[in-house]
Order: sequence, then C-alpha cells, then structure tokens
Amino acid sequence: MIDLKGVGVTYSNGWRALSNVQLKIDKGEFVFVVGTTGAGKSTLLKLLSREETATEGTVKVSGQDLSSLPLHDLPAYRRKIGIVFQDFGLLPNKTVYENVAFALQVTGASRQTIRRQVPYVLDLVAMSHRPDAFPNQLSGGEQQRVAIARALVNEPFLLLADEPTGNLDPETSLGIMQLLNHINLRGTTVIIATHDQAVVDFLQRRVIAFDQGGLVRDEVVGNYRATEAQEETA
Amino acid sequence: MIFGSLTFLIGEAGRNIRRNGLMSLAALGTVTIALTVLGGTLWTTFRMSEFARSQPEKFNRIDVFLPPKAERSKAQDLLEELHKKPEVKEVTLVTREEAWKMMEENQPVLTSALDENPLMDKLEVELKEASQVSQFAQSLRDKDEYPNIDKVLDAGEEVRNLINLSRVIRVIGGGLAVGLFIATLFIIHNTIRLTVFARKKEILIMQMVGATPWFIRLPLLLEGLFHGLMGGVIAGGLMLFAGHLVSQFVTSVHSPLSGEVPSPFLEYSEAIMPFAVS
Repeated sequence: MIDLKGVGVTYSNGWRALSNVQLKIDKGEFVFVVGTTGAGKSTLLKLLSREETATEGTVKVSGQDLSSLPLHDLPAYRRKIGIVFQDFGLLPNKTVYENVAFALQVTGASRQTIRRQVPYVLDLVAMSHRPDAFPNQLSGGEQQRVAIARALVNEPFLLLADEPTGNLDPETSLGIMQLLNHINLRGTTVIIATHDQAVVDFLQRRVIAFDQGGLVRDEVVGNYRATEAQEETA
Repeated sequence: MIFGSLTFLIGEAGRNIRRNGLMSLAALGTVTIALTVLGGTLWTTFRMSEFARSQPEKFNRIDVFLPPKAERSKAQDLLEELHKKPEVKEVTLVTREEAWKMMEENQPVLTSALDENPLMDKLEVELKEASQVSQFAQSLRDKDEYPNIDKVLDAGEEVRNLINLSRVIRVIGGGLAVGLFIATLFIIHNTIRLTVFARKKEILIMQMVGATPWFIRLPLLLEGLFHGLMGGVIAGGLMLFAGHLVSQFVTSVHSPLSGEVPSPFLEYSEAIMPFAVS
C-alpha cells in the first residue's frame, strides 16, 4: 500500500532530512517510526501526508505517486487519511462535536451522516460525554482522543500520528496507544512516529528506526532500542 | 450538498465572529475608525466646496443707481431696457421714497438728522448667472450707452474670490481624500492580513483535514465583508451624529443677519459615504 523507493528530502536551507529510503508498508499494518530528534521521522510522515514532497525517488500510496499529485486533488487525498498531531491540532473555537464534524463537513457530508458518524466516533474514543466542551476545557489526553476521533470520522485507510503521546503522561500515553492499536485491529493502517519507549516495547509491533535521515532498522516485531546483537551487526 | 455547504460556511462565519469576539471587535474598530476619518474628510470637503460654490449664487445682484432727482420716467425706461437683456432674470425698481421709508424704519436717528431725502432711485438687477455679474456691471458703467446711470455696485471681486476658494478646496480636499482612501485601503488590507495571520494554525489544521482553499477562504471573506459593512454603517451613524452636533452648534452661533444656514447640515445621502466606500 505504501511504497517508498530511493526517497531523499533536502530542504531549501540545504539540510538533508531523508536519504535513499526504501520502505514498504502493507495494508492493515501497525508501524512505529523511532529515532532521535532530527532523524527523519516527522519528515517521513510529512511525505505521506503530502506536507512535503520528495526531492529524490518516489512515494506511492495506494498506487498514487504523491510527487505528481496535483494541488487541487490534495484535499481529496487528505480526506482519505487521518492525521494526529503531537499538539492535538484542535480548532480552538469549536466544540468537541464541531471539531469532529468539521472533518465530515469539508467532504460535503449530509447532516444525517454527520449526526450518525460524530457520536459514533466520539463513543469509540470514550469522549461522547463531553460533546459541547471546547478544547481548552479538556485535559491533554481528552484533547488527543478528540483529535483521534476527528482523524477517524472519515474512515481513513491510513492513520498518521506524529508523536501523539509527546505531551501526555505515561498512563494517558498508554491509553492513547491502546486506542490506536484498537483502531488498527479494525483494519486501518497506523503509522506512529514516537519517542515513547515504554509504549513501543509494550505493544511489540513493527518498528522502523531512522538515524541521520537513513532507515537503519526494520523489525516486524521490535523494541524501541536495537538489541546488542543488532548493534554489532550494524 | 452545495447549498448545505454554503449554509454551513455562512453559519461558520457567524460563529467565528461570535467566538473570536475580541479579534472581531479590533477589526471592526479599525475599519470603523478608518472609514469615519475617510468619510468625514470626504464629507467636509464636499460640504465646504458646495458651500463656497453656492455662495456666488447669492451675489448675482447688481444695484444700479440713477442720478439724484432723476425723472421717474427715466428709471422706468431703464428698467424696461434692462429687462430685455438676455442675462437679466429680474429687475425691480426701488424708488427713493421707498428707500427713504425703509431707512426711516431701520435708522430713524440718521433720517431725523437729515432735512430732505438724499437717496436716489435704484434698480435691483438680478442676473441668471452669478458668473456674469462682473462683466455685466462693467457694461452698465459705459456712460455713452447708459447716460442715465450714476453708479453701479456689484460683488464681482467677492464672487471671483469665492469661486477661486471653491477650486482650492476641491483640489486640496480631493488630494487629501485620495491619500486617505489609499491609507484606508492599506489599513483594511493589513487588518485582514492580521486576522488571517492570527488563524494561521487553524488554517493549517483545516488544510490537513482536507478542506479545500475555498472552504477555508469563504468564511474569512464573509467575516471581512461583515466587518466592512458594519464598520461602514457605524461610521455613517457617527457622521450623522457628528453632523447633527455641528449643525446645532452652527445654528446656535449663527447671526440672523448673515443669511441662511444650509440645513440639514448633513444630508442622509452624505452619511452613507463611508458605507459606500466600505
């Protein structure tokens, strides 16, 4: 489903964020992207959300080459994927219900669809009890649940989360990761960039590691840190 | 679906205005002040120019005096002759007896000191165009053509000054208005940019959830339209109010001898100037 061939990204200031990345991710996979700050994790997610374009190689998602995706087709592409940000990215002047409904409204969904879908996803993320609250009235964990509900409401085939637990305490982080795991079990491909070692080690899913823009490790079932044997091989 | 989206986007603009209260108030205040200054300048220039332009109309009269103790028939002949002139609108004979009677009423001390009536018959000649006053008065001063005229009084110099003043006001006021118009455009443009900048992150989030550029833009445009229209209406209201106050002030200090005060001082049609600009 996701196919990166010889992908490189060099920013206009000359900084090389990714270099010759080869990567395949199949439909329904759950992938942790790990690495130190500046290793290239966020750039990978930005490539997949088409915030950035590759300066070398090709990035294909569901057979579509994202480099050649016309700008006017970009909104339609983004409606098919869900994005979760570290800082939650909720619209501050909208209630919980309106934030989730907004993702449906941009698709031109009918009122009936909105009335059916929004309570459903809010229930899924255990936020149906506070539909009228504004983001600043919620805790960090609650805000992230709402952000996940918004990312899910269009039933995306791919969910991208850039450090979704970066601003949360360990207990809440685990709850959010379990929620994302649950979403993955329903069939959505989930890719998470994270620094959260405890969560990665606990869930035991596929791990790809980046270092200085290069993909240095890819394990079907892995931990946050490479084992000593792997380090020696490297 | 399109109608549904449009309804949503209009509602979205309304919600944004309500929920971004302080920002909306700042934008509305800026637009109102800018339009009030522009509208006020346009209105003041317009009124001053109109006032200066309309004054010469009141100086379209020439007073023609016949020699002392001239025969009444000569005054009548001259009246008929002048009446036939194409420039002339009206000629009225004020006899020396009538003038004396008026003087007795207005200045009894002066008349009681005089033994006899020293006044002359006078023809009050009203011209169709105030701009012709000077030239026409000059033609009446030709003794060969009008031997029965003793003296001609006109307001030619005053008229010329007022016409020149009207031109100066129009040029200076016009320049000022153009400058202020450009400044107002800059202020409003900057206000829109600031409101958009304040929502930069919101716009980015909207883009990331798949909103099209028009879906993001339309509520912002509607908000701008609302601020512009409301600013215009408030500026118009302020100008009406200010105009009313100025009118009251001018009326209170105005001498009854100095003529009519333009009334109402601010017409309603002029108060919509800032509204039209917005």
